[in-house]
Amino acid sequence: MISHRSTPDPVYQRRIEALHATKKEHTDLKVKLYGHFDTDDHGYIPWTEPIPFEVIPNHPSGGCYGMACIGHNFRRWLEVHPLYIHPASSLAGAWVYKGIPGLGGFDLESGMGDPDRKKVSKPVDVSYPKSWKPEDRPTHLYELHRKYNTYSPGIGNKNHFGPDMRIGLELGWGGLLRKVRHFRELNHPPDTSFYDGEEDLILGVQTWIRRHVELAREMAAEESDPKTRQNLLDIAEVNEWLIDGAPRTFREACQFLVWAQDIDRMWALGGALGQLDELLLPYYEADIAAGRETDESIIWHLCSLFFNDPHYSQIGGQAPDGHDLTSRMSFLILEAMHRIRIPTNIALRVHEEMDQELLRRALEYMVEDGTGVDFALSGGLDEGFAKNGYPLGLARMRAKVGCNWTALPGFEYSIQDGTRLCLVTPLTLALEELLADEQAPRDMDELWRRYAEHLGIVVEAVKVGKDIHMERQADNYTEIVLNLFCHGPIERGLDAAAGGLDIIDLAFDGVGLATVADSFAAIEQRVVEEQRLTWEQLMAHLENDFADADDVRMMLHSVPRYGSGGSRADGWAERIAALWTHLVRDTPTPKGRYICIPGLFSHGGTNNYGKRLGATPNGRHAGAPVSHSADPDPGFLPGGAVALTAKANAVASTQSGWGNTTPLQVELDGKLVKSMGGIDAVMAFVMAHNRQGGTLINMNMVSKEQVLEAHEDPSTHPDLMIRVTGYSAYFNSLSREYRQPIVDRILAEN
Amino acid sequence: MVEGIITDIQRFSIHDGPGIRTTVFLKGCNQRCFWCHNPETLSPKPELQLYLERCIACGACFERCPEGAHTLVDGEHHFDRDVCTGCGACAETCYARALVLIGETKSADEVVETVLRDRAFYETSGGGVTLSGGDPLLQPAFTEAVLSRCHEAGLHTAVETAANVPWERIEKILPVTDLVMMDIKLMDSERHREAVGVPNERILANARRLGETGKPLIVRTPVVPGINDDADTIRAIAAFAARLPNLVSYELLRFHAMATNKYDSLGMIYQAATLTAPTQEHMAALAEVARGYGIEVSHS
Repeated sequence: MISHRSTPDPVYQRRIEALHATKKEHTDLKVKLYGHFDTDDHGYIPWTEPIPFEVIPNHPSGGCYGMACIGHNFRRWLEVHPLYIHPASSLAGAWVYKGIPGLGGFDLESGMGDPDRKKVSKPVDVSYPKSWKPEDRPTHLYELHRKYNTYSPGIGNKNHFGPDMRIGLELGWGGLLRKVRHFRELNHPPDTSFYDGEEDLILGVQTWIRRHVELAREMAAEESDPKTRQNLLDIAEVNEWLIDGAPRTFREACQFLVWAQDIDRMWALGGALGQLDELLLPYYEADIAAGRETDESIIWHLCSLFFNDPHYSQIGGQAPDGHDLTSRMSFLILEAMHRIRIPTNIALRVHEEMDQELLRRALEYMVEDGTGVDFALSGGLDEGFAKNGYPLGLARMRAKVGCNWTALPGFEYSIQDGTRLCLVTPLTLALEELLADEQAPRDMDELWRRYAEHLGIVVEAVKVGKDIHMERQADNYTEIVLNLFCHGPIERGLDAAAGGLDIIDLAFDGVGLATVADSFAAIEQRVVEEQRLTWEQLMAHLENDFADADDVRMMLHSVPRYGSGGSRADGWAERIAALWTHLVRDTPTPKGRYICIPGLFSHGGTNNYGKRLGATPNGRHAGAPVSHSADPDPGFLPGGAVALTAKANAVASTQSGWGNTTPLQVELDGKLVKSMGGIDAVMAFVMAHNRQGGTLINMNMVSKEQVLEAHEDPSTHPDLMIRVTGYSAYFNSLSREYRQPIVDRILAEN
Repeated sequence: MVEGIITDIQRFSIHDGPGIRTTVFLKGCNQRCFWCHNPETLSPKPELQLYLERCIACGACFERCPEGAHTLVDGEHHFDRDVCTGCGACAETCYARALVLIGETKSADEVVETVLRDRAFYETSGGGVTLSGGDPLLQPAFTEAVLSRCHEAGLHTAVETAANVPWERIEKILPVTDLVMMDIKLMDSERHREAVGVPNERILANARRLGETGKPLIVRTPVVPGINDDADTIRAIAAFAARLPNLVSYELLRFHAMATNKYDSLGMIYQAATLTAPTQEHMAALAEVARGYGIEVSHS
């Protein structure tokens, strides 16, 4: 039976617990050094010693652009990059900075964070994007971006598409190097810098690995415990092979993935690993059959991989022909996640014929741990992607390998999760404009017309920026790491952003749906229909941030809200979502004719968008966070009802339907789920939202008591992990301000 | 158009029957269990709830109330419940939801429209709709109308009742009810009267008649400290339930004293506030006692 739980082996369990403890120590130290993360947990280890590296620029600005310069400096960086081996891990290596100093716009002083700095993303200014040459930056667009509160227009965005790690596993670093050299010769380009840069990177990786081999042997020589010594010698042997050879065993495969994910992280904060159970299954089966590994040792290797970094990966799902991919490996990955209990970004792919035991097991672990996997739903993802003109089999191959997104491993250039537009600012502009125009009719049709116009302007501006991105990205910032793990770039000698990949669909995410839908409803009900206040009075209250008018604010806030079902606000939400979808999807970018795929997702940016917005007609105060993704705002059902199905219905009704994600955030009381029939109900809930065409469910099962205690004093629950949105993090790695909207929604739904 | 007075429509209910359900709470109950955690369902009429902690002192209710029930005394909002007629005019203007008129008149169609929104979840879970309260059989026409419409729509239907009503009311809804859940709190009628205000002969008689219908039946006992949390009492109820041929299962529901806020909002005294919930171990032990009669038993 593939689903049986492994019996813990004390030796491996102690090692796993040691990794867990070190992860906690690292997290606490990182928070001290760099401030609260307020984003994903990343696997970099805290490093305070200076590293002797200075970039060799190729531009008067002091920057380094293009493949040749980047590759050369990347190699130099790896030659001095710190070495790390945790004696309890089966794998060597770690990364230390969220970038390479002087490369790709990364500046060490500001790039890691600052405990005293208030984390507000800057509006776009002349320094954006930092990874580009100053003369290439389309600064003529920025005034428009600032006007519309767009601080992430996606120009110069890196990574956020899925590699096919099978390429690397089959070739190894030596094979990748030979591939690069082969195609450089075959294609004989006049300018070989693309291949030179890739070659330099691989040589740098090989040097870095070699340095770890030496370190492992040194550590083994000084190690008194025989088991630990043997582990260190095994690490040396594994890595000595991997300098050139392709992985032959499960451990070697995991070690290869560590190196790949570490360079991906240090270059681009990338984080996509792929369909992990399928990648590792052949190695698992071979090792078990040969008696080289047991399930316990396999779990330890997986824990070591997760300890290195919580890269995004997927388990389960379907093969292109539709058969279910659940295997023993899927269960072992879940078990490893449960045993090490640190943030891991594993997605469980849900489809109608999925293995229900896998779903049940994921939820059982979630009940015990408070959080766990998230659920990528084929119901919405597959049909949506296929609508773009692709076979369903291709759609099934997309893996959820990012915070909110899926991508075809190695084929699809989508630049997900980095292009976000504020849906609220067009409303505030439309309202101001309407009231400044004395001739304009004061009605909802006119307000809507102006809103649609403003939203259209900012969407178009971002599309213009995307064209510029596609023209200039490869000359500035290259996908030097992911090129190696995609189908096309090395073969063609073209960067992934410049024709290396066949499928280009650029993702756009809208932010603040509930804020704007509830605002439209509040105006329609209170101003137009009930005439409890005039348009001018409304405007005055907004400008004064409802000073001395809390009753007015509550009046606006108390209209039936988006999510309550059948309300005005629900109607407005659907209308706004449909408009957004139409504006993004129905016309390509003006020059390159690239298709753009809409979704509704805010990541953790609700605070940042809100800080630059005044008060809104839904009763929101100036500077307060906007709504999260497409979720209704907390408390949307009167009387404090449990809102799960209503929320799911609401999010289902606003799915864009083209293969990008609009996630549903679910906060459950763990006690409720543990009670009679709880897990069965949650399983059915997940399957139902899949049938509704949902795309992603992010779920927590923490008690509100625990959350409140941890919010007041994070030291009371140092191990508390939370699924913030599409990613998991330690609760105490988040600032109080960042935690507040999470706490609010947990309290509202528990 | 058939109308009824409800207090709430609760979605994603997983404790009111199988699967994911929507539970409709009807107003009115003819028992007075002092531990009741839904005191807002006891009276059949709409009533005003006051949550002072939400009050923003805007004064709108002072102006709207035709009876002058709301006043400002020493800078604080004072509500005179004795003069309140339950008209709800103040609640309509209370945007802070400090004043809530609990007990809303809805048509059966309106209720069913809300229930049908979660059909996708009923389908994957084997769930449906449950009518509860209060006691839904105190509004028999409305209950039957809602159940019929849901039944016609292909939903699984269930009723939670104390069954302290004429048999004819129960009989009438059986054709459109897939599952009956009824409370049996005590077998001894005198103790029953002391605890909940009425004797239990009619309840037990209705249970026996339900047993003859073949309709799937769940018997439930809220386990309340000092009232029925002993093995002998549970044994007696289990023995009775075991003799009902249509019994699906027997459920022991653990008392909790979490209704203080509701009682305060209604100006009522929560007599069970100081009771301590039975431990999980105690509930498990009582469940084991009940299982001795060869029936399916679960406990919360």
